[in-house]
Amino acid sequence: MPDDHYEENPLNISEAEMVVAIPSYREAELIGYPASQAALGLKQYFGDKKYVLINCDNDSDDGTKEAFFAADTGDVPQIYISTPPGVRGKGNNFRNLFRKVVELGARAVVVVDADLKSITPRWIKHLGEPLFNDFGYVAPLYVRHKYDGTITNSIAYPLTRALYGRRVRQPIGGDFGFSGELARIYLAATSWTEAVSQFGIDIWMTTLAMNNNIPICQAYMGRPKIHKPKDPGSDLGPMFSQVVGTIFDLMVHSTGYWMRVKWSKPTAIYGFGLGEVEMPPPVKVTEDALVAKFHDGLKQYQEVYPLAVSEPLLIKLREISEMPMEHFDFPTQLWAKVLYDYACAYKTQVVEADELLASLIPLYFGKTLSYVRKTASMSVQQAEEFIDNECVVFEETKPYLLERWSA
Amino acid sequence: MPKLLIVDDEEHIRFLYAEELADEGYEVVTHDSGDQLLEMIEAEKPDLVVLDIKMVDYNGLDLLQDIRNKHYDLPVILCTAYDTFKEDMKSIAADFYVIKSFDLTELKNKIKMALETAMPQ
Repeated sequence: MPDDHYEENPLNISEAEMVVAIPSYREAELIGYPASQAALGLKQYFGDKKYVLINCDNDSDDGTKEAFFAADTGDVPQIYISTPPGVRGKGNNFRNLFRKVVELGARAVVVVDADLKSITPRWIKHLGEPLFNDFGYVAPLYVRHKYDGTITNSIAYPLTRALYGRRVRQPIGGDFGFSGELARIYLAATSWTEAVSQFGIDIWMTTLAMNNNIPICQAYMGRPKIHKPKDPGSDLGPMFSQVVGTIFDLMVHSTGYWMRVKWSKPTAIYGFGLGEVEMPPPVKVTEDALVAKFHDGLKQYQEVYPLAVSEPLLIKLREISEMPMEHFDFPTQLWAKVLYDYACAYKTQVVEADELLASLIPLYFGKTLSYVRKTASMSVQQAEEFIDNECVVFEETKPYLLERWSA
Repeated sequence: MPKLLIVDDEEHIRFLYAEELADEGYEVVTHDSGDQLLEMIEAEKPDLVVLDIKMVDYNGLDLLQDIRNKHYDLPVILCTAYDTFKEDMKSIAADFYVIKSFDLTELKNKIKMALETAMPQ
């Protein structure tokens, strides 16, 4: 990982109790809004503390740095830190942030996405305040459309909940808070990988907080997360492999922890009382694209599946692939077992990691299609209950993982 | 023997729960309102709380928040006559919820699950 970085610190800030950071890559158009809202939040709610606003960037060539410094942030001090030219990755930006946080001696750090359109100053309060009240990690809790965040809903949330026993609804939410102490733990961690230096960073941070027994709470944000949403049927890019690969890597790293976890526990919730809940905007789903990607992918990776999953699962996958589309169903227990088998295959390296993870994508599209069909007439709240029930299935199926992992 | 704290403002419910859960081998203490609840928890140190959502003077979901803030890991099971409370996001801070019934099978199962939950320290 790169240790060198570029920094602009116009006011020569050398210490701060509270940091708000905005990671970015080519976000010149949007970064001004979260920067100004974060500055307002610092002034309104943390006025008695020394604070600083930091942009951690990947040497963007679109004027992100200039847009950050030009944002209306009043007298809130700003620092710009960048990875060296050519070094990309959200995780690399965080690595620079961890170092800076430790250098500044900060007690609390709040991170918000650069493309956020719905952030208010209260988000800074809710993500930051628990860090001054014994919590070490604060995950966001916002109402999202039932089709927004399908990797979270079908993989990241149920897996981390079943593995580590903590119910953190948005483990890759992108907006969160962590203590300066936890920044030190992150810097010293030995599980850093190339995937973590990219989009694996969010799940890596949440998981390390869980398996280091850091007190975790969820902060209710009041407003839905409005950013650049994606059709769950569109291309996933490298994000899927980086997130899922990081979950599997961490399973190998923390086997001794998650094998002793049974069922799950809720976390404390901070920040209720914000009045009426605002509903999230709709997310478009192209079912035809999900169907096509499921079937095409099954053919493309037909030689991988017998190596990745057990024979009984292989038979069930064949059965569901032959179902007429109007009756298509990907049962939750089958999905949980597929993910557990994939984790074992990842550990034993029966297939090269990139190909193994790529072969999981068509199955994920199949699972997403099934979820979309089953929740089509559900409200956001009913879909939440549906996901909660799926998580219980993951927990009930965990003995299968324990058996397969130890085989 | 695990100690359960039953919080409900209806006397017959407290009586029913206390009898049936004691028969299951639990030590049971009861409380009839949200008043002094945190002090009760501090004094009795229960292993689990069964909390009614709708009490005359108290909202169980607000009490749940108070409990969570002081007792981060204390299992809490919400009991209610209606499931509309799930629309309130505060309810997710509970370990489980059950719909009130004279058949306590579901409640007993949830109590068992909550007490079995294991987290490495």
